[in-house]
Amino acid sequence: MKDYLISLFIDDELDLDEKIDFVESVHLDVSLKDEAIDLLTQEKLLRSDMVTSLPAATQIIRQSSWKTIFLPAWRPLLAGCALATLAITTLFLLRSGPEPGQEIAQRFVIYRPNTGNMAIMGSFTDWNPLPMEKIGASGYWSITLRLKPGEHHYSYMLEDGLQIADPTVPFQESDDLGGENSIINISTPI
Amino acid sequence: MNSFREFYRINKDKLFGYLLRRTGDYHLAADTMQESFTRYLERYDKTELSVALLFTISRHLLADNARGQRMTVPFDEERHDRIQGQDPSLIREDSQHILQAIAQLAPEEADILALVTGSNLSYKEIAKINGMSEANIKIKVHRSRLKLKKILNAGEL
Repeated sequence: MKDYLISLFIDDELDLDEKIDFVESVHLDVSLKDEAIDLLTQEKLLRSDMVTSLPAATQIIRQSSWKTIFLPAWRPLLAGCALATLAITTLFLLRSGPEPGQEIAQRFVIYRPNTGNMAIMGSFTDWNPLPMEKIGASGYWSITLRLKPGEHHYSYMLEDGLQIADPTVPFQESDDLGGENSIINISTPI
Repeated sequence: MNSFREFYRINKDKLFGYLLRRTGDYHLAADTMQESFTRYLERYDKTELSVALLFTISRHLLADNARGQRMTVPFDEERHDRIQGQDPSLIREDSQHILQAIAQLAPEEADILALVTGSNLSYKEIAKINGMSEANIKIKVHRSRLKLKKILNAGEL
């Protein structure tokens, strides 16, 4: 049964040889043709606009929750205060630097619905696997750790022992065992 | 910042399309979409812009939401007024029917189907987001479609 070709056809994932195969199969098999028509009709509904209007584009800004506090009339005064605060803070930081040894909570989350166990291991666990917690039936696993500021290397370990990098972290390195580790930098909050 | 603006413009509706199909809730989808871009900008501003990372952030937000952890979506008066002024039935009637059917799928099936049909991402991109092989995605997408058809035909809604 080549019915999975219907989905590849719908999603434009067939190469030319597969397209020939699909057309020949549909031509020879009426039930496959009927199934294809049904799923294509269903797909029209699935891919329709669905809404009467899309959400309007809004300006994406950092720390947007401050927006409502910074009313236009206050802006010049607040800008002056902000500059003065920034200058004082910079001077303070240059003199004192980050507090050594201060730990920061870091939450690690990964989506792996098909594994029975998930662990994290890294420079902060001396590369010993630390079990992660399953988030209900969502397929997600998470763990929150307190880490010292600085660079940390880590990876996730599935129940079959397979080691994988964090897909949400772009900086990675290959380890000596052929696996991939992720690299994050934890900085001290100002 | 200009490239991020372009990234937002290109991917905003794709992400909303996925989130709407995944949640069946217009406002939750719209809020999660906005919050995803905000988090991306706050946490990954210095990195190369990645659609897979954007969708991963969104899925983490949905997981947090499912666990009862509210997102820190700021109150936007302008936006609120706009929503208040809209037709309350933001989702078309025939689409409500299919969104309810999607909600009856297993979470993983609903997620893959929402990614494929809502975002128009390729199997390769979806495999990257889900941490699965493309071959696995092919099978799961098709099974989800067949199951959805069964739900719709059974008139379980």
